[in-house]
Amino acid sequence: MLEIPNLDIFIQLLINGILFGTMYGIAAIGLSLIFGTMRIMFLAQGSMIILFAYVSYWFFELLGLDPYISLFLIVLIGLGFGAGIYHGLFKGAAAQEDKNISLLIAVGLMFLVENLMTVFWTADPRTISTGYTSLVFRPMGIGIPFNRLMGFIIALFATTGVLLFLKKTYIGIAVRAAAEDMEAVTLLGINPHRVNSVVFAIGTGLAGIAGVELATIYPFDPFFGFIFVLKAMIALAIGGIGNVFGALLGGIILGLLESLSSFFIGGGWSDAVSYGVFLLILMFRPEGLMVRSVKKA
Amino acid sequence: MLEIQGLNVFYGDIQAVWDVSLHVDEGSIVALVGANGAGKSTLLRAISGITSAKEGEILFSGKSLKKLPPQDIVKMGISHVPEGRRLFSNLTVYENLKLGAYIPRSRRSVTQSIERAYDLFPVLKNRMNQKAGALSGGEQQMLAIARAMMSRPMILMLDEPSLGLSPMLVKTMFELIMNLNRQKVTILLVEQNIHQALKIADQAYVLENGKIAMTGKGKELLSDPEVQKAYIGTRWSKS
Amino acid sequence: MKKDKQVILTALLILAFAVVPFIVDSEKSYLVYSLFLFFCYIIISQAWNLVAGYTGQISLGQHAFFGLGAYTTALIWLNNITKTGYYFDPVTILLSGLVPATIAAIVGIPLLSRLRGDYFALGTLGMGEIIKVIFVKGGSITGASDGLHLPSSVYSSIRPYYWTGLFLAVFATLLIYLIVRSRTGLALKAIREDETSAAAHGIHVLKYKVLAFSIGAFLAGLCGSLYGIYLFHINPDSVLKLDWTLYPILMCVIGGTGTITGPLLGSFFISTVFSVADIYFVQMHPVMAGILIILVMKFMPKGLIGLTQRKEL
Repeated sequence: MLEIPNLDIFIQLLINGILFGTMYGIAAIGLSLIFGTMRIMFLAQGSMIILFAYVSYWFFELLGLDPYISLFLIVLIGLGFGAGIYHGLFKGAAAQEDKNISLLIAVGLMFLVENLMTVFWTADPRTISTGYTSLVFRPMGIGIPFNRLMGFIIALFATTGVLLFLKKTYIGIAVRAAAEDMEAVTLLGINPHRVNSVVFAIGTGLAGIAGVELATIYPFDPFFGFIFVLKAMIALAIGGIGNVFGALLGGIILGLLESLSSFFIGGGWSDAVSYGVFLLILMFRPEGLMVRSVKKA
Repeated sequence: MLEIQGLNVFYGDIQAVWDVSLHVDEGSIVALVGANGAGKSTLLRAISGITSAKEGEILFSGKSLKKLPPQDIVKMGISHVPEGRRLFSNLTVYENLKLGAYIPRSRRSVTQSIERAYDLFPVLKNRMNQKAGALSGGEQQMLAIARAMMSRPMILMLDEPSLGLSPMLVKTMFELIMNLNRQKVTILLVEQNIHQALKIADQAYVLENGKIAMTGKGKELLSDPEVQKAYIGTRWSKS
Repeated sequence: MKKDKQVILTALLILAFAVVPFIVDSEKSYLVYSLFLFFCYIIISQAWNLVAGYTGQISLGQHAFFGLGAYTTALIWLNNITKTGYYFDPVTILLSGLVPATIAAIVGIPLLSRLRGDYFALGTLGMGEIIKVIFVKGGSITGASDGLHLPSSVYSSIRPYYWTGLFLAVFATLLIYLIVRSRTGLALKAIREDETSAAAHGIHVLKYKVLAFSIGAFLAGLCGSLYGIYLFHINPDSVLKLDWTLYPILMCVIGGTGTITGPLLGSFFISTVFSVADIYFVQMHPVMAGILIILVMKFMPKGLIGLTQRKEL
């Protein structure tokens, strides 16, 4: 039953896991920021990712735009779209004590976007296939697909960018402060809606990056978003909420877990393993594994 | 400078402040004293805009604050140090101070403001790169006040600044408040440490069950037999 | 006085629904089918209503119990376990409620004791996915992703579905009504309002939460069973899809969660919208469902019922 893989296959599994996991990580960073400041579990994040995957697919098919070029455009669209979603949908609900309202709005948005995409693009899986889709580097005999490597590098850049933003800019510091105490933030003259819309913009901008990455390496359909957001939440559970680097690392760990478990116990079961890990972490470490400081108001 | 007329404040279905009128003159120290739950903090929260369910009028230099959100009230020159300090414990001391100068008017002079804060509280300078959560109680209170001063307010509202401090530090804290006041900052002070608060207050209001029960000069109230009996005689026998 | 009047009106309304298949041509009329769906929606929304509306535990795993009910019926039938006839067999339907209820109690104890608020919601979402994977990977027992096929030759009319649906909808509503008016209902509402203070008043919080979760699963299972014998083809994509959690949420929030009539109103409203959408804009009804959830949560978070009354405890 259990095969002992040779070293090459094992290394290949690790690399695939890490490269794919960064995508979960990027999605998880967005979720983490939004949950951090607003306590909203933005379940529509996955559908946003798929939406941007379709946008990049369209840019490619209709305009012949290379996905790594349209990426910049899509991130900009994502930033604007995110701020729009906040102002249009969550502005009122974010201030409410009852978080179920925001949760249900997110559920409604997910449902809406998923099904609109089905209407526009049908439920058939799509993928972007460029001249370099099957390009694979082979340093020391280990195969590294070009698109996955690009995805990994972009993810690292995006994470670094978000970290710098949170550390160096005024509004970035305000975002971190808001994760601790929004009321105290407003008492310093900071508009909470500005903080929240910036956070939503970043979250959706990151969804744009994840969407482009996804479109270049994996066939996607409208309903893949739900699975994706579940995976991002698992990454978040592993990495800890409110910790940007932890979220990326959580994504990578999840990617490894999936890649290894699908090899050892078979494709479909790897999902059950991930969800099982998710439930266990939720139950025993609701703050995530990486969180060191034990603090609760 | 700050004028409150017939203010009623609600928490859900419960009314916490009843028909309160008071005024704060420019350059003065005004104390709001009273027992726990008398509505003192609620009054401050209503002024700074956190609590929006209110009737009546709040005027600052003649302009109404009643309908403004907290961020706009800060911009007008009112800074509120809330109960329990509410520092961002995962941010450094420096970052906490920097955020205090977020509003455009004060952001331009953030470097000078931070220098001034370090002059006022040298201990913060030594700890500028430590997380606020790592500070001691007294240091945290200083940081909270320093942060609120970063926006260069005209009125500083302090909610229980002496809470949880040792008697030594309480004394320092009140000296500091008087020091700030000498630098032309108007102070609106909420305190349960009634004796100390009345000693430094130009004007004081005693709140009972959300209503103003008494008002007068701080020193007068301090020697008022009723105040003595109700608040000072029993609990603060000799401080 | 007023009470008697309400009882009589309700009885008349139920009677009116019961005679519909005699008035219209039940095999051809779209109305009978729409009302059948309406009854199914009532059952699952009342189930969610008990768990989320009255006990305050937002479950996003109701579809798992719905699916378990359908699969239980199919497995009992195909493996000839109870030897009781199966098609509209009360024993089979009852067992299809009891199996999910038992599983809910077993998984509910760890979930409900450790997770609160949106963490519980996420936990149930994960639980639902695990159960789905188990059925997809169940090999020949569950028929994997193709699922199980029941002998559809037994079908002769929609009427038994209609009446069973009506009966179960009345049963579910009555059950919830009786529960929330009992001491148990008081305990559930106390937990919803403030768990800590409920515990301080001597309420065994976990016991009541698991009870509500389990009854919710029981009702969802009954509905899954009925819907399963209507489909004759039970597979993960049809009975284990998230819609079976999202629709009841939609109906409850539209009608008003934590009230008896809210889910009824919501179910009626949604099944009407879906029926209209099915006729005029094929394929668009999930889109409309999404828009409706958003609009309702944004503009009337207390639901339709919130328009008429200010506060309901």
